[in-house]
Formats: sequence, structure tokens, C-alpha cells
Amino acid sequence: MPPTTAKTPNALLHGALDALILKTLTRGPSHGYAIARFIEETTGDAFLIEDGSLYPALYRLERKGWVEAEWGTSELGRRAKLYRLTAAGREQLAAEMATWKKFATGVTKVFAT
Amino acid sequence: MKRSLRSWLWRVPLEQEFDEEIALHLEMRTRELIDAGMDPADARAAAIRKMGNVRSLKRECVGLGRKRDREMQVTLFLEELRDDIKFAFRQLAGAPAFTLVAVLTLALGIGANSAIFALVDATLLRPLPYPNPDRLVTIWEKSPATARGFASPPNMLDWNSRSRTFEKIAGFTPSVGNMVLAKPDGTAETVSRQWVTAGIFDVLGVPMIQGRAFTAEEEQKRARAVVFSEGLWETRFNRDPGIIGKDVKLDGELWTVVGVAPRHFEILGKTSMWAMRPFVNLPPRARASYQLQVVGRMKPGVAVAAAESDLAAVADGLSREFPEFNKDRGVALEPMHDTMVGSDLKTTSMLFLGVVGFVLLICCANVANLLLARATARSRELAVRSALGAGRRRIIRQLLTESVVLAVIGGALGVGVGAMILRVAPVLIPDGLLPGTVTLQFDMRVVAFCALTALVVGVLFGIAPAFQATAGAPTEAMGADTRTTTGGGGRIRSLLVVGEVATAVLLLFGAGLLLRTLIAVESFDRGFRAESVLTMLVDPLGSTYPTPETLRQFLARVEADTRALPGVQDVAWSSAVPLGESIFGEYPFTYDVVGDAPVEASRKPTTNYQIVSASYFSTLDLPIVAGRNFDARDTPTSPRVAIVNEAFAKTLGGRTPIGMQLSVAPADAAPTVKPTIVEIVGVAKQVKQRPDETSDFVQLYAPLGQDLVGDIILMVRSQGDRASALAPSIRAAIANIDRSQTTGVASVTTLEDVEWAATGRHRFRAVMVSSFAGLAVILAMVGVFGILAYSVQQRMRDFGVRRALGASTADVMRLVVGGAAKVVATGAIIGLILSAAFARLISTMLFGVQPLDFVTFALVTMVLVILAALSIAGPAMRAARIDPAQALRLK
Repeated sequence: MPPTTAKTPNALLHGALDALILKTLTRGPSHGYAIARFIEETTGDAFLIEDGSLYPALYRLERKGWVEAEWGTSELGRRAKLYRLTAAGREQLAAEMATWKKFATGVTKVFAT
Repeated sequence: MKRSLRSWLWRVPLEQEFDEEIALHLEMRTRELIDAGMDPADARAAAIRKMGNVRSLKRECVGLGRKRDREMQVTLFLEELRDDIKFAFRQLAGAPAFTLVAVLTLALGIGANSAIFALVDATLLRPLPYPNPDRLVTIWEKSPATARGFASPPNMLDWNSRSRTFEKIAGFTPSVGNMVLAKPDGTAETVSRQWVTAGIFDVLGVPMIQGRAFTAEEEQKRARAVVFSEGLWETRFNRDPGIIGKDVKLDGELWTVVGVAPRHFEILGKTSMWAMRPFVNLPPRARASYQLQVVGRMKPGVAVAAAESDLAAVADGLSREFPEFNKDRGVALEPMHDTMVGSDLKTTSMLFLGVVGFVLLICCANVANLLLARATARSRELAVRSALGAGRRRIIRQLLTESVVLAVIGGALGVGVGAMILRVAPVLIPDGLLPGTVTLQFDMRVVAFCALTALVVGVLFGIAPAFQATAGAPTEAMGADTRTTTGGGGRIRSLLVVGEVATAVLLLFGAGLLLRTLIAVESFDRGFRAESVLTMLVDPLGSTYPTPETLRQFLARVEADTRALPGVQDVAWSSAVPLGESIFGEYPFTYDVVGDAPVEASRKPTTNYQIVSASYFSTLDLPIVAGRNFDARDTPTSPRVAIVNEAFAKTLGGRTPIGMQLSVAPADAAPTVKPTIVEIVGVAKQVKQRPDETSDFVQLYAPLGQDLVGDIILMVRSQGDRASALAPSIRAAIANIDRSQTTGVASVTTLEDVEWAATGRHRFRAVMVSSFAGLAVILAMVGVFGILAYSVQQRMRDFGVRRALGASTADVMRLVVGGAAKVVATGAIIGLILSAAFARLISTMLFGVQPLDFVTFALVTMVLVILAALSIAGPAMRAARIDPAQALRLK
């Protein structure tokens, strides 16, 4: 699936969670809770989400082919569903990051005036 | 394990997957909160709170997951399909001989079907080329004599004004006549013309390509108005729009050209123009002149039955109002499409459709046979794939993909074959079989038909071989010698060949019956000699020859001058061509024997009526079997005389016809018309009027000396056999007499051509069905030969062993021939039984032969025995020539 580009800022904010998940998964396959924790820690709670909203996002990303699910083992030794970034997901992340940077630079320039 | 294989391996229901995922999340969150010093119960509650509404989350996630799985399956399916198709092409390319034979077989079968589909589509399936054609109905005037009679103009006008379910009702004369069109350069030309009532174009909803349709005012004013066909407008007037509103001279009178109708309007009758016949201020007796074929356009939403009961009520009223004309007369409605297509075309189309369907089945059986043989050879390959984990369904799917690919290639070529057939077919199609200007065309509908047929056919012939090939256990097949894996496949193959032979026999039998019919209609004794007779329609202009005397003088001069031409043996005038057209129609006159008890008007016998010159009988070599021929004694002033034919004489109940007096009147004449009294002076030999008539035609000849007709047919017997070569000199002779150049000459043809056209339908059916039967037989032979050659090949070692153990060449041959003969004989017997059952279906198309014709049975059996022997001979010889020592060494 080709990466989605040319997003309006509105959709950008909406898609921020998707981008964060993809970015998280660049560190390796993780289960849902680990992804949630990582986002909490790295954003310093700037990005407050309900734990629940993470899962529809994961399912959506899986449907788009950007992440893949497989059964693995959690830290507790239990069976856990692990999400892994696909090649398409990696491309999508790069595109998202580029768009985001352009947007942020633009906004920053406006603020700097 | 990757999710993309979920459909095979993952196997965890989505709900459970989600539950597990959430449970783990909650547990880990709770643990974290406890670690941070929270009370376990509070921690659990907080974790759940942070999760949000789990139930709606679950619904959303499971929904997304489901969609994903479905998309995955489609993607997977398409990927596998792509792989299968690629693999199929590799497989087919690897076996070029097999592929070629299979593809050609399918191309023939599908091509033949597509051509016949085009015929069926053009006639039966396609609606009439008018807007809202389902609202158009033919309205017949029903009488005790016929349920499909023509209507009288006043009745039609009353139907139109009194019915409540019709938008408009109009009519036309079913037969097309001629008019002489005077051209600016002073020459004349005969142009075909059909009479119509003013509203016909409105009823059918035909938009004019130039000008307009007839108007009510024109009808009221009894204007002479004419609408040209696109064809006439193009060929004679160079598509000049300026012709609209101009006057042209037709039959010596000025007619105004009001419009030009598009080509497809010619469906009513092949004509060059439509002339308006105004029906206003009609005399009462017009109600007894039944001449119009009537079409009505029903109001939107009206059912045919409702329209019929509405009109029936109107007709009842008319019966009460005009009992002397309309007693016992009603109406019968029929969708116009049915009227236009006709039962003859319908049955012919269905016959062809059935026949090509059977041909296609044979094609399928043949290809299935080839596939079975191949599957046997490929059994080890399939076993390996199966052992490597491919499921049976997967392998079947792959094999079916192969057969569908084969069928699609065959179908693509079939499109070409069909286009070729359609290119040559129109030559074979007899005039008048297709309504109006309906033409066969090769369009997207036919291509779509081919595509659909290919898919169905691909599965049809692929399914048995695919199941057969995957039936055995893989270990068995892998370890085995290919030789031993023939068992079940052999049985299916035998069944297929039995089916093929049975079908081929069925088609051969049908072809035999139709060929016998063709021979019967062509060789039937017509009672006259058709060879070397030229006929042409001569149409002298009424205003040039205003009186009967002047017209007779003209006809006499033409006859005398033509007779004087070199190469002419005999010349005659007639109002009809045997086996061809009659100026009057079929049975236009009623008759009574003078002196017999009077017969009620509706029960009076009818007769064909033909005006002929005295030389007619000698020109056609038609003997007068009793009494005398017409001669110079028969003049307008002498007592009226007639010659009757043998069938007519038989209706007189054994009395001597000569000297008998008849009272003759036109069948549609009003009761007030005084009949003519004629005396029978001779009896002529019976002549066929239609090639396949089953009852003898009742005919009465009147002398040209006492009766006349405006358009008349000139018949010329030539001395040599080049009758058609006389045409130019005869035309010149007529032009030489008719200085004003107002006489039209049309329909120049020979009697032999008329005969050929008259038997066209039978020839068309016989040729088509025979060709298809021939194709079927060849395919069946290939099938028999194929299975036999293959089984001999497979049993070489077996035969070798037998020879080594002392069996003679004859023994081995007997073995091969015996097996094959059993299969062929079974097929033949089944085929003959089917033939007996199916023959009744085509009994209406037969003439001079019974559906269960013994000769045809015998011939088909004979042909079959010869062909079977031919196809068995090769493989049997091969088996017989076997060298035991070599065969034993065969793997």
C-alpha cells in the first residue's frame, strides 16, 4: 500500500496516534500495553489518551497493512499478540514524519514572527 | 506465524483474540499501578477505567478485524489465481499438441454457438427497434374462419376512436406493391410501395430523419402524401433534404414527399416508400374489405389482457351495430414482437440453438477426454504437490483454472470463428425468414456470450478430470508406474465417448430428416417445367392505357414482339408465378356451383384466382387434362369461361366439371357485389403453389381476354437454357412499344430462382444442421480414436504378454475392436433412442418424410458403422503389429 501523503493539518492531528504507534514499533515488535507505556513515557503525558483508543488504531493499521500481528510471549510469560512494523508501515511513517516536520516548521515560523 | 496465513493457520476467533489482548493489557496496567503503591482493588478499577468502554471497543476492533480478514481472503484468492493462471499457461505451453487440439475444438464449439446466439439475439431476444416496444400489439380481426385475420378500415377506425386502453391504433397493408416513379430525365422506374394509414408512424414512435409523418389534416383532405425510406432517399435523391415538401410523379399522379423514415422502420415490409391511404367518408361496404394489418400502442401500464377485453367490448358493439358485416367478428391481440418474429423463425432458431448446444457438449466431452488422459500422465506431479501439503481442494482449483484458461483461449478464438460464420451466413439465410431489415451483427453481446460460455464450458469439461486426477492417495500414485493408474479414468472416458457418439447420432439423424425433407420439396413434381423460363413484373401506367382495350392491345403487342425475339420459344401473361407471388393473394375468391343449394356466406369454399393468357399452359408445359384451352373465342363480350385445376375438380363431388357454371366473387366483397357467372371449359393439371403444401391447392384460371389486372407478370420460355440472357432484349422490346417510357419492369428472375427461393427455408435448415452434424461426427470420431489410441498405448505391455503367451494377431485385434465396438454401439443405441424421442420436436419442419423414418435410421446406422470402423482401424492395427519382445521391455 502506498504511503498516504498530502494530509490536511486536521487529519494530521487525528493521524498523530497512528504515527506515534508506527514510530514506537520501529524499536521492534511490541504488544499493545508496551506501545501505550512507551507513548506515555516519551511524550511525558503530553499526549493523553485512553488506553482503549489504542486498539482500534492498531486494528486499523493492521487492516492497512502497515503493521502485522503475530503471537509471541509477553514479559509475564503469557501468550501475547505482538505488533510488528511492515515495510509499507515504515514507508508510511517516513511520509508522516516528513509531512509533520513541514507542518511544524510552518507553524513555528508563524509563531516566531 | 504470520497473520497473512491466518485463514489456514491462525485459527483464533477474532473475539477471543481481542479479549486476550485486553486482558493482558489490564493485567499489566494493574500490576504497574500496584507497583506504584496502589491498593490492588483500586488498581484494577483504575486500569479498567483508563481502558474506556470495552464493549464498544470490542465491537469496533472485531469489526475492523473482520473486514481485514475478508480483504485478506480476496487478496489471497487473487494471488493464488494469478499463480494458478501463470502455472496453467506454463503447463499448456509445455504440451503444445494437446493445447492446440483442445483450443481448436473449443473455438469451433464456442464459435458455432456464438453465431447462432447472434441469430437468436437479433430475432427472439432483442426488442423491436421502437420506443417502449412492449406497449405495441398487433390487433387481428377474428372471424369464424381465422383467428388472425386482417381488419377492415372502418373497424380499425372505430377501434381507435372507441377504445380507452390505446393511445393510438393504425394499420398498413401487409403486402408491398409497386409504383412507377417518373424521373426528371423522362424515364420511369418501378419503386416498391407499402400502403399505411396516417397514424402508423405515431403508433410505432418512429422519428423521421427528414420532414415529418402524415397528419390528420392530410388524411381529412385526402392528400396524396408519401414518406420515403432512407434507402430510396439515399440512392435516388442523394440524401437531398430539399425533397421534403416537393411533389414526385408516382403512377402518373403528383404525390407530396412529407418525410424520410430511418432504415429500421422497414421492419413492416421491405419497401422503398410508404404511401398514405386516407380512410375518410367510407362507404358502408368498406367494412367488409379486410385488408389492414393493425398495430396499436397501448397506454402506459396497460396489460395486453386488459387491452384485449377493452377492444373485445368495442368489437361486440360493432357486431351489434353492423350485423350484416360484423356478425361473429371479434379481435385477437398479440405482442407485436411475436407477429414480427413468426413461429417459423422461432422454431428454426430453437432448432439451431439445440443443435449447436449439442455440438458444444461434444467439444466439451472431447476436451475432457484429453484432460483425463493428461491427468493420468500428470498423476505423479499432482501426487508430489499433494504430498508437499497442497489440499485436494487447492489442487482441484488449480486444475479447474487450467481448464478455464484453456476455455477462455478457445472462446477468444471462437469469437473469430463466430464472426467468420456470421460473415458467410447471410448468403444462406432465405429471404423473408428474418423480419424486415433485421441483420445479424457481431457485437459486444455476442462477445459477452462467448466469454460466459467459455467460463461455463471450462468448468464443465474440467470438473470430472480434476476430481478424477485427485482421487487417489498420493503415496500410491508416486510409487506407481503410470501404467497402472488408468482404471477409473478409463471408465469416465468410455462414458464420455458413449455420450459423444449418442449426441452425434442424434444430430446425424436430425440432419438426415431435414435433408430428406429438402430432397422431397426439391424433387416434388410441381406439375410444370420450371427450367428456362424468365419472369418479370410488368406495370403499365394506368393513365397511358386508360381502357381495358388499350391495355390489352399493349399486352398483346408486348407478347407478339417478345415472341419474335431470337431465342424465345413461348410467351405468356399471368397474374401469379407458381411457387412465387400472386397479385391477388392466396384464396381471394369464393365460389358456388350454379344450381346447387345456396351456401351460407361464411361457409363458401374459396379458390385461388389466376388470370392467364392462353399461351400460359404451353409456356409452362402444363397439360390441359380435359376440355379446352383458352383461345380467341374468349373475348370481353363472349360468355365468361374458366379453367379449373384437378383439386378444384375434386371439390365438385364427382360431377364432370366441363360445362358446369360457377358463381364467383371476391372473398372480401360486400354481400351487395354481384358475383360473376363463369363456365368451366377445361381442367388443368395440378400445380404446386408452395413447395411443402400438404393439401392440394384449389385453383381457378380466368382468361386474360376476359379479365385484367394492373400489374402483370410476363413469362418467357427460352429455346436454350439461358433464359436470363433474354432480359435485356425483352426490356428493349417493351420500351420500343411504350414510347412514353412509363411502364415499370421489376422482379426480373427465372422460375428456377423462384423455386430455389421457395425451398430456401428447408435448404437453410438442412445445410446448417448437416454442417453442425458433420462437425459433431468428426469430433466424435476424434474422441473415439483418441481414447482408443490412448488405451492401446497404455496396454502395450499387456498385449505383448498376451502375444508372448501365444495369442494371435487376430486375438489382440479382437480385444481392441471388441472393447471399442461395445462403447460405440452403446452410444449409437442411446443416440437412436434419443433420436426417436427428439424427432417429434421437429415434425413441423418435415415434409415428405416421417419423424421415425426408417431410411434415415438405416443410413445413420450405416454412416456410423463406417466412421466407427475408420476410427477404430488405426489403433487396432497398431495393437496387432506389436512385437512381443519389444512390448515387454516397455516401461
